[in-house]
Amino acid sequence: MRIAVLRPQVPFARGGAEIFTDELVDELLARGHDADLVSVPFKWYPGTRVLTQAFLWRLLDLEEADGRTIDLVVATKFPSYVVRHREKRVWLVHQFRQAYELDGTELGQYGPSPEERALRRRVQELDRVALGEATRLFATSTNVAGRLERSTGLRAEVLPHPPQRLAYRHEPSAGFVLSASRLDRAKRLDLLLEALALDETLEAVIASDGPDRERLEQLARSIGLDGRVRFEGRVDGERLAELYATCSSVYYAPVDEDFGMGPYEAFLSGKPVITTTDAGGPLDVVADRQTGLVVAPEAAAVAAAATWLREHDEDAAAFGIAGKALADEVTWDRAIARLLG
Amino acid sequence: MKVAYFSPMPPEASGIADYSVLLLPELGKRVELTVVKRGARRPPRGVELAVYHIGNNPDAHGWILDALRRAPGAVVLHDFVLHHLVAGVTIGRRNGHGYLDALEREHGVVGRLLGHGVLDKRLPPLWEVRPEEFPLAGEVLGLATGLLVHSRHVEGRAREAGYEGPIVRVPHPAWPEPDVEPAAIGGAPLIGSFGNVNSSKRIPQLLEAFARLRREHAEARLLLVGAVSPGFDLDRRLQRLGLDGAGVVHEGRVDERRLWELMTACDVHVSLRSPTMGETSGTAIRALTLGKPLVVTGVGWFAELPDAVALAVPPGDGEVEGLAAALRLLTEHPALRERMAAAARELARSEHDLTRVAERQAAAFELIAGGGAVADETLRDVTLAAASVGIAPGSVEASEIARRLSEVDLGG
Repeated sequence: MRIAVLRPQVPFARGGAEIFTDELVDELLARGHDADLVSVPFKWYPGTRVLTQAFLWRLLDLEEADGRTIDLVVATKFPSYVVRHREKRVWLVHQFRQAYELDGTELGQYGPSPEERALRRRVQELDRVALGEATRLFATSTNVAGRLERSTGLRAEVLPHPPQRLAYRHEPSAGFVLSASRLDRAKRLDLLLEALALDETLEAVIASDGPDRERLEQLARSIGLDGRVRFEGRVDGERLAELYATCSSVYYAPVDEDFGMGPYEAFLSGKPVITTTDAGGPLDVVADRQTGLVVAPEAAAVAAAATWLREHDEDAAAFGIAGKALADEVTWDRAIARLLG
Repeated sequence: MKVAYFSPMPPEASGIADYSVLLLPELGKRVELTVVKRGARRPPRGVELAVYHIGNNPDAHGWILDALRRAPGAVVLHDFVLHHLVAGVTIGRRNGHGYLDALEREHGVVGRLLGHGVLDKRLPPLWEVRPEEFPLAGEVLGLATGLLVHSRHVEGRAREAGYEGPIVRVPHPAWPEPDVEPAAIGGAPLIGSFGNVNSSKRIPQLLEAFARLRREHAEARLLLVGAVSPGFDLDRRLQRLGLDGAGVVHEGRVDERRLWELMTACDVHVSLRSPTMGETSGTAIRALTLGKPLVVTGVGWFAELPDAVALAVPPGDGEVEGLAAALRLLTEHPALRERMAAAARELARSEHDLTRVAERQAAAFELIAGGGAVADETLRDVTLAAASVGIAPGSVEASEIARRLSEVDLGG
């Protein structure tokens, strides 16, 4: 089958969605399909740019390429699903969150003027129309599916996607907390740094990059973490696998996250996850005292959880093993069979 | 966003007042609402959108139409046929000329001449005998900066009437299931009809159909709840059909709690209407909440109810036979009733969910208030981009772009 995987691309940015779509193409190719990635740059500001940039997708003609029919397109996140195709499948990573649950928060984008309110609603209407055209609609987590249904009335099948390919392994803990989340505000790294400040026996490694890095490094300095947190930036797969293998726990506590591969990657390394009660998607797989610890979104609670997991090796290992059993179920074979079924 | 809300409110006996009472708490979480006092002439200062609930009853909506005339805004159009409202605010205020003008504006000289006939009492009131032909919605449509409607039927009629502004379809919200015991009224099955007892609710046809059902199912019982309209002789009709014994129970207008008790007691709800003014039935929505199978007239909003929840019978020829067949089907097939009940509950929980309806209404308000500026800016950017690569207005390429914009509702 000839399949186009659709991905909006914020130039110079790379995160979970980029890894996911790259691997989806690889996995489709590995199963004998003729697959390719179709990417269009995306900028969502100022003003109505979010709509005009989304509209670019509508002008694409993906019915065929170079004289050969494209049988199916797989759109992933806003606004790639605005595309027009007779066999449009959507594997929804996320909608444009500023128009939904982030509205009215410090992460929101739109002010109170009638024009900005209307712009937000127009994005929602665009979703309703474009997602309503999908011949099949999947969402990467219960959180994404629930938000979609609440906002548009559309129902999606939950289809988690497998984490990135790494040489996952389990090794004895070196005692540090790992975060591999992209450094932006929604990933809530502040909470981890503040937890470290409360307990001077805690150490952390942050193995990622992002627009919030400078602020977070400044915060770490200002609250006196004195080398107990190490910002390694974006690391290669080998190093990331090593960090997963040797950490005591993985911190993954974004605000109302859509999905996030962090927990799956931790589990495949046999490590427990610390998350918060308001984290959204991760709660599909992080169950308190089963596969990790789910705590209140407060620094003291995160600190206590990290300390407890570091000091209770056997429990931490048991949580990691239980998590691995869950992660092992999420395979490309199963996901692609459902996606193309 | 600051919204001025013009609507009938309790203690007015109005379905739209009930609707607003249900909706306002949820809507108030999404926009800053000022519920305008009855009789207010204008929206308060500082509001960003005035929202006018317009229905066909001049007592409930005359003052709202007056305010709309002074300050145009969004209209929640509960009925498309507004002839009774227009007659009320013209003839009812001793302004026969206003009525004639309204008829002429929308129906030309013929309309004016018919109006003279009505004023001279040479013709029966058009709002009673031919309202669908003379809806008189034009003035309201002309003043509305955007429309909220409950049905495709009203949306279609507004477009047919030439309305070009934004129309947002927002379903009627469903009430939460009440904590009441069913009223103690027997019947196997008990069939309920709620609302005024008159010809436009198709009570004559219902009584005839029910009489036929009773001949085969002596345990069936019909419950009529609502005031008998002047000139409608219910007792005589019952007598003529042999239904004046135990077969039919009538209760007049009842309070909200009693209404729910009676509705809960019924196995089947009948919600008939012809002619329709384009309205949505609050009692039919209540039936969905309670999970009751419905028999409806196949007109307007009623015809849009999914087959899974309602058996629709067209008005006119064969109507009595159709109603009798529907009642017989539901009487003889309890499993069908159960399937329809489950589908009704699901529809109330999904399409008519109160929070979802409030969210969609708030979205509609925001789109009506600021959507024009958003559409203009979007179109300007697309047009400039097209022009900068030589795509001229009116060219094939420009038409293609316009078509694609329209597909995703970005066409302005």
